[in-house]
Amino acid sequence: MKLLRGFLWLLGFQLLGHAVVELLSLPISHAMAGLLLLLAWLVAARRLNESVATASQALIPLLAMLIMPGVVGVFFIIEEFAGHWTAVMVALAVGTCLSVLTTLWLMRRFMPRETSSCDERGRQA
Amino acid sequence: MSELHASLLGSPILAIALTLAAYLGGVALFEKLGRPSWCPAVLIGALMTAASLWLLGYEYADYRRNVAWITLLLGPATVALAVPLYQQRQHIYTLWKPILCCLPLAAVLAAFYSVVIAWLLGASPVVLASLAPKSVTAPIAIGIYEQIGGSLSLMLGGLLITGVLTTIFVSLFARLLKITDKRILGFALGVNGHAIGIVRAFELGPTAGAFASLGMSLTGVFTAIFLPLVWRLLGL
Repeated sequence: MKLLRGFLWLLGFQLLGHAVVELLSLPISHAMAGLLLLLAWLVAARRLNESVATASQALIPLLAMLIMPGVVGVFFIIEEFAGHWTAVMVALAVGTCLSVLTTLWLMRRFMPRETSSCDERGRQA
Repeated sequence: MSELHASLLGSPILAIALTLAAYLGGVALFEKLGRPSWCPAVLIGALMTAASLWLLGYEYADYRRNVAWITLLLGPATVALAVPLYQQRQHIYTLWKPILCCLPLAAVLAAFYSVVIAWLLGASPVVLASLAPKSVTAPIAIGIYEQIGGSLSLMLGGLLITGVLTTIFVSLFARLLKITDKRILGFALGVNGHAIGIVRAFELGPTAGAFASLGMSLTGVFTAIFLPLVWRLLGL
């Protein structure tokens, strides 16, 4: 019953997110608004409802399976984007290379030094 | 016989059973291959699904319509991501300064670099919109796709490729730049490589894993808020 009760909480927050997004015509998805509202509620309540924890532990491991039908579509759009694959691949490869480099550089610049680390450049900014 | 075939293909149960079987098969094969980070389980499962659709003569559009009965769970499962984010609040409270300095910029650049490169190479607006959420975890990226458009499948394919490339580039740069801090490596894996980066981070240890989860959640939330807004302002 804990699982069902938690699931109902999640559905409730998704519906609340739906209502907020539509009423304020926000440019975010209903589920994302539900996530933010649930997070705000958890932070305000300062404790995690046990049934919500149970339901989220049950659902989160299923995420990979739930997105798989969308991934299957990749094999059916190869021709649709025939002229674009070079641009897509170059953008993904070079873009990811640059963004990984930037993240590492930024983090090394701003992260306080780890107690066990001897990297002298890891000083706090 | 052909009537039976048609009625089975028309039933959501077959689509769901096929999806679960392919996913479980993908996970099993992934384990058997020694959990290769260059080939995520979901990709193997997707390949198996595509092969069975082809063998059964199942139209992809029909399959998508029938399998929607289960993928509806994506909504509440996305809402559930608030729980791990709440549980990581201790990390956020103690490291709010480096996070505030790095995360928004890192998340913006993760989208910006690829979109600009694709734009320079003359990609169409549909392709640009599909590439923009490339570093965001899939459930949240689907929410972004609902806002800015693009091709769902292209977007998810780009997500997988980005995740795999992130694990490769992080290992490479960690060696070149001599970065050993597990927190930094984990964070970079999560911010750029979403769930695939997290799998790699947990191989480096629990600290790297925790920071990767944190990086992924924050990037997802931040990008979901800023990207549709920017897209709207740019009039794309």
